[in-house]
Amino acid sequence: MKRIYILLLFSLIPLVTYAANDATELEGSFKVGPAIILIFILTLFVLVGILFRAKDTTDYYAAGRGISRVGSGMAIASNWMSAASFLGMAALMYGTGYHGLAYVVGWTGGYVLLLILMAGQIRRYGKYTAADFIGDRYYSQTLRAIGAGITIIISIAYAVGQFGGIGLMFKWVLGIDYLPAVIIGGSVVLAYTLISGMLGVTKNMQIQYVIIITSFMVPLFILTAKFDYFWLIPQIGYGAVVQDIVEGVKIVDKAGMANSLGHNFAIVPSPEYAMPWDPSTGQTFFQWMAIAFSLMIGTAGLPHVIQRFYVVPKARDARWSVVWGLFFICLLYWSAPVYSAFGTILSSNPEVGKLAADAIVVYTAQLGNVNPLIVGLLAAGGVSAAFSTTSGLLVAGSSAFAHDLYVKVINPEAKPKTQMTIARLGTLLMAVIITAIAILDLALIAQLVAIAFSMAGCTIFPLFLLGIWWSGSNRAGAKAGLITGGIVTLISLTYLIGARAGWILPFNDFITYYLGAWYFAWIGAPLAITANIIVSRMTKETPIEIRKFLIEKVHS
Amino acid sequence: METEEYRISFFNPTTQQARSNRNLIIQLFIIWVVAIFGFQILLKILSKPVPEEALVKFIPAWEKIESGNAGSYDYQVAGQSMVQVTGKLTLGPDEYDALKDGISWTLAKLLPDNELADLQKEVQLLSRLREEITSLRDERYLETKESIISKAAPALVIGEGTLLAQLLALGLDDDMENMTEENRSKIPGIMSLYLTHNRSVLTDTVFLGFPFHYFYTAVLLLVFFVGLCWLYCYRTDKLHAKLNFLEQID
Repeated sequence: MKRIYILLLFSLIPLVTYAANDATELEGSFKVGPAIILIFILTLFVLVGILFRAKDTTDYYAAGRGISRVGSGMAIASNWMSAASFLGMAALMYGTGYHGLAYVVGWTGGYVLLLILMAGQIRRYGKYTAADFIGDRYYSQTLRAIGAGITIIISIAYAVGQFGGIGLMFKWVLGIDYLPAVIIGGSVVLAYTLISGMLGVTKNMQIQYVIIITSFMVPLFILTAKFDYFWLIPQIGYGAVVQDIVEGVKIVDKAGMANSLGHNFAIVPSPEYAMPWDPSTGQTFFQWMAIAFSLMIGTAGLPHVIQRFYVVPKARDARWSVVWGLFFICLLYWSAPVYSAFGTILSSNPEVGKLAADAIVVYTAQLGNVNPLIVGLLAAGGVSAAFSTTSGLLVAGSSAFAHDLYVKVINPEAKPKTQMTIARLGTLLMAVIITAIAILDLALIAQLVAIAFSMAGCTIFPLFLLGIWWSGSNRAGAKAGLITGGIVTLISLTYLIGARAGWILPFNDFITYYLGAWYFAWIGAPLAITANIIVSRMTKETPIEIRKFLIEKVHS
Repeated sequence: METEEYRISFFNPTTQQARSNRNLIIQLFIIWVVAIFGFQILLKILSKPVPEEALVKFIPAWEKIESGNAGSYDYQVAGQSMVQVTGKLTLGPDEYDALKDGISWTLAKLLPDNELADLQKEVQLLSRLREEITSLRDERYLETKESIISKAAPALVIGEGTLLAQLLALGLDDDMENMTEENRSKIPGIMSLYLTHNRSVLTDTVFLGFPFHYFYTAVLLLVFFVGLCWLYCYRTDKLHAKLNFLEQID
């Protein structure tokens, strides 16, 4: 591993010397330096994937359960830090100010829930996939198949945002249109996942974490130093930037400082950037709370996140890996608002025009006159973030397809080799579907990802929560809960599609506000839990062997 | 009998370990809920809509303009306030156009006819140049912009080297003498929307350079989450050690 890091560092030195004098351009042309960095990093991922290639199904699904706590924490962080974190978070704050912080809180606070309610217990339950847990705990092949189906749907919904991020960065680096950029980026991530499986993915995730966090942090030090803020800890130093946005910066305050287009570092007083639920953002207190809540319970129900706990040797490691994972995640989440704050001032002149919010991280570095190669590294970091998450999602989805659907339901006699082939076929099929949806460019990256969270919050979260903590929750209750969560999901998504297609559906305003696609789990999850409890109490009790297993294996 | 023994529930733990674990979870959960949602509720309760100074000045000036009793000062104040709002990043394109219409119209009320005609020509030229140029540093473009500023800024009592002057140069319409009725009726709403903000003692207190509420949500809360996770693991380890609770490895 050390050799790879050293190789990475030394390989970057000549590149930095080569392209340091490139003119900064916001978009539209092929960028040589960033392209070289991107190709280099992607090649590195594939090489590591080959080196740590999955040898059998245990390797493929759960990395041989040989990953350390810190390593697993890094993998959790890398798996988690997707395009939504790297690119989407700053985009939301750039566009909606304080409202965007609901995503920061939701995507970190959920780990507390995940830890105290689930991590150790999931590991002790000893299953490979979310559908495995659902099928065994609720003693139902139907529920196993439904669980696998939900896992695939959630993985696809989540990965659409990632492919969007990959496409956006490939578009920026290669200077090509969004459509070919998505196809090229999607093909690369697919090739890598097919070659390696999760063992390679886990090793890669540790490397990816280092690349992601380094590429994200370096420009922050440069920006804070360049514009005369406290640069030693940019995550604190940007507080003064936020306050400056609120009060306004006059040209004389920062005389001689300008963005790469020659505009002064100045802004009119803009309290809407930081004040809570500002009317001009169109976002409300209810939406803030609903988004934070939905994202938090969604975190505790995402199959590819839950699956990370199977790769540590024991439950104690699963718990501590969450602490490490959350800390590593927070390093990025403390930093994302810095980009949106600088981006707000640097693009405040109307001459800059409307920038694609999802690329604001890269645009901010460009507008701040950061060395083009460092901006290139930043873009490569964005691709890595999307890449690592997508790999995890494809593995989770293909595991559900091959392990939970094919082996457990369709062909229990399948040989490991057949299983691997089916897993790879599943990966391919998912990648095609994801690419097709990503091309439609439906919403901001973070919003697309939030849909997956709400889906998970309405369906998988209640099954895990009750399945672990209440032996009374039975098969009929689980089905009732799933149907309830599924209906809420269906209503919300129908109205989302309707809004995009221009349909006016009954109670349109009411439903789109209270069951918004980014946060419908705020009501969907409690309703699913309630339905599960009521029906479980009215029907035949959970079999003794399941209850015995829960007590002896999971809680003792 | 056996059936009774094998029932577990979070709220009715059967062993000491389970009881202690439940109590720990409940404690941390309450802290977690209060830290996240409690603070936001407090923020909501304390916040009141507060207008920016620009809106406080704009409202009486616009009322006089609407009633036909406005003097030069009122047009200047209204124009300045509208120029300030054109610098807001969240402003929509329709709203920007409406404000441009309003700013141009107030300027037309302040400038003599000949100066207005000159200015209008330059605004049209700038608009044409923006379509043609490949760099914002184009000399002719910059010269035209400066010339517009030198003519328009003094009329609205805006300093030529200021940010407002830069915004003014870009915030003028080709047709300066007329404002549409639609834009006229929209402008007060736009001004009120963009110049009113929810503020309270939590937003106005500065801590480590941040508005306090922003620091709490963006920085402190995340520190808190890591701390809660650490505390849970630490106390669980201690509890397991105390009870000789060995976790199985498979």
